[in-house]
Amino acid sequence: MILHTLNASPASAAFHDCIQVATAGDAVILLGDGVYAAIKGTTACTELTATGAELYLLSPDARLAGVINPAAGINCIEMDGFVTLTERFSRQMAWY
Amino acid sequence: MTQTIKKSVLIVLRHSPYGSSLAKAALDVTLATAAFEQAVDLLFLGDGVLQLLPDQDSRPLGIRNVGRQLASLPLYDINCVYVDAESAKRYNISLLHAPFETRLLDRTAMNRLMVGYDHLLGF
Repeated sequence: MILHTLNASPASAAFHDCIQVATAGDAVILLGDGVYAAIKGTTACTELTATGAELYLLSPDARLAGVINPAAGINCIEMDGFVTLTERFSRQMAWY
Repeated sequence: MTQTIKKSVLIVLRHSPYGSSLAKAALDVTLATAAFEQAVDLLFLGDGVLQLLPDQDSRPLGIRNVGRQLASLPLYDINCVYVDAESAKRYNISLLHAPFETRLLDRTAMNRLMVGYDHLLGF
């Protein structure tokens, strides 16, 4: 089980590479430019959901970007939620 | 005598060799890790497969040749690397003459591979 931190916009190679590898049982945290993948109705959001991984959106970054109404199935978390996830998963992969 | 706890590390190379300093950094980390006799493996993913193009010639620019450096990996007991099959196909990269053994993986196999390591380092 892997915790993926996705810090790149949906147009990036990092985004593409991440959704290639992420799978059910994993979790993906959208942060930085990665928050744009949470926008409802976008191809990126559909692709991300299709991985079957748990999806999380880092609220401070999302609010900064103006992504205030994320798609269903994406859980908003604060920094403490981020920390909790790092405790749950023993390995982490940074995509940037 | 204290015993060293060995951790397994997977270096994930995702960027082209000369577009940024990331490929160079990944190599430095790989060689340093191997020099300390830690278990280290490499996965070339996405644009990272471009590092495996044969015939890289850095002489006109006088910079480090990533391809040639990768060829030195067997000296550090890294004899096999993992490669994202889809990306290798997309860029039509032949691995027949690679200086080490290459194992092509599909997306499911890549996830399974990653789960087997203590640490994942992405470059």
